[in-house]
Amino acid sequence: MDLDKNKPGAAPARRRYVTTRRLDRIFVELAKVYRFNARFFKEVWFPPYEFREIIKQCYEIGVRSLPLISLTGFIIGIVFTNQSRPSLADFGATSLLPALISVAIIRAIGPLVTALIAAGRVGSAIGAELGSMRVTEQIDAMEVSATNPFKFLVVTRVLASTLMIPALTMFTTLVSLLGGYLNVHQNELTSLSVFFYQVFDAITFLDIIASSVKSVIFGFTIGMVGCYKGYNSSKGTEGVGKAANSSVVTAMFLIFIEELLIMQVINTIRAF
Amino acid sequence: MSSADNKRTVIVGIFTFLAIVILVAGIFMLAGQQKRLINTVTLTAIFDDVAGLRTGNNVWFSGVKIGTIKSINLYGDSQVEVVMNVEEKVQQFIRKNASARISSESFIGNKNIVIDGGTQAAAPIEDGDRITAISPLNTDDLMEKLQQNNENLVAITGDFKQLTSRLVKGEGTVGALLTDTTMAQNFRGVVANLQRTSESTVNASRSLSAFTNKLNSPDGLANQLVTDKEVFQQLKNSMTQLEEATASTSEITENLRTATTQLNNSNSAVGVLLNDQKFARQLQSTMQNLETGTEKLDQNMEALQNNFLLRGFFKRQAKEEAKQKEQQQNQPAPKQVQPKDTTQLEFKPSILIEN
Repeated sequence: MDLDKNKPGAAPARRRYVTTRRLDRIFVELAKVYRFNARFFKEVWFPPYEFREIIKQCYEIGVRSLPLISLTGFIIGIVFTNQSRPSLADFGATSLLPALISVAIIRAIGPLVTALIAAGRVGSAIGAELGSMRVTEQIDAMEVSATNPFKFLVVTRVLASTLMIPALTMFTTLVSLLGGYLNVHQNELTSLSVFFYQVFDAITFLDIIASSVKSVIFGFTIGMVGCYKGYNSSKGTEGVGKAANSSVVTAMFLIFIEELLIMQVINTIRAF
Repeated sequence: MSSADNKRTVIVGIFTFLAIVILVAGIFMLAGQQKRLINTVTLTAIFDDVAGLRTGNNVWFSGVKIGTIKSINLYGDSQVEVVMNVEEKVQQFIRKNASARISSESFIGNKNIVIDGGTQAAAPIEDGDRITAISPLNTDDLMEKLQQNNENLVAITGDFKQLTSRLVKGEGTVGALLTDTTMAQNFRGVVANLQRTSESTVNASRSLSAFTNKLNSPDGLANQLVTDKEVFQQLKNSMTQLEEATASTSEITENLRTATTQLNNSNSAVGVLLNDQKFARQLQSTMQNLETGTEKLDQNMEALQNNFLLRGFFKRQAKEEAKQKEQQQNQPAPKQVQPKDTTQLEFKPSILIEN
């Protein structure tokens, strides 16, 4: 339903909004998002499953993103350790650095950095790809040729994103911890075994579960936002860029909101 | 499936496999560290205050991590029950009289429980045993004591500062001692005197020691007094006799008192003689009359001696008296008795008292 368009030839009628024009547009957008998500959960269970396309997208989203995300994670591990040292040194507690790194990286930085970088790289790629397909009417052509474009384009990408972001998070976390170890070893001469002993001493199973759940949700968000923005992009080349840009911004915003909510839920569970 | 697709699938498979390996390895390391993959026994301890201890915190024994806190539950009115999972293999080292106390891994670190193993006399712990809990040291109390110590330290250093300042200025006895040369010389003299005094004291103590040695010698009087039963018996007898003598003296004193009372009584003859003034005047008058009478009698006797009737009698009497004196002068003088030397008498208290 397009609120701004009137029927051709008809006398311009004054549109009556439920609330205001802007609020009505937001609610209509939310309804569209809901229908898009509902359609995904409806389509994902039924064949054809498009395994080949899923593998292809996993390769693009996961394997291709690994170097960038690993390098970023490694650097973040070093930088975070180095910047945290003076604060602990004030208390004479530099020996607690591994524990601090562990809590920070496993609980928050690992999943968050992975999701943000993936949102930038993968979200924009999906938005731009689907947007250009929409602009060039390839999606319409698929519908005409009796191929379900939603299943082939959206479900596969969202599934691949949902599966690969947690995997990337595992790599990012490991590489960040190794970066932290490198810095700690350089300054405090801590051995690898002692470092990892302290790392795992500071965390619980809840932290690992929370981190995994978070990365799954982040992956789903990135894939879904990218697909939604690209799949529903407006006509024209401008729409492609807008879809790519909007995918990144919206995905990042939602990731932060989700991080906040999940953290509250996990802390509530931790308190019991 | 094309070779490119196949290659891509394998790479994705490897990628996913490695991610799963990292996850599983992390889970196993965490489980191993939290002692979740080993057999454990459960111990409980009831604390008044757990000071922020949380589920999952470590349990230490002799500096070795042997388990974790399984659960923390409120118990009774205001106590807390802490349930611990402890490795089964250390069960033999922890005794039933072991105690648990809450400690901290570092000054700002996590809380943990430290188990003291108990004594060898007690049996090893068993699953579900409850061990004694020792209340943790309250950090607030500790800080309060530290603050008090700090205040005391400030006061002490303040006093010490004043003291050293006065010493430097030469105030007071010690200050004068440090700065005044005359005082120092006097002090040296005092020290020398003290030294001499101490030497004299040493000599005196030696003499005293020698004296006490003599007292302790078997032949000495003091030793006999202390050790000889015969002497003690004699002393005892002497004391008994002394008591008897004292009793007799008391009796004599009582008699004297009675006699004195009777003397003071004007009804008796002596009492009248002593106390009655009228009688005294009469007696005095009588005595004067007697004296007068005697003088007159003497004059009469002289008159009788010159009387021719009695003159011969008095002459014969004078001759007999002269004859007796002459006989007495012709008799030899009697021997004088020499007194004994009292210094040679032995010390025998019982004899002395008897005498």
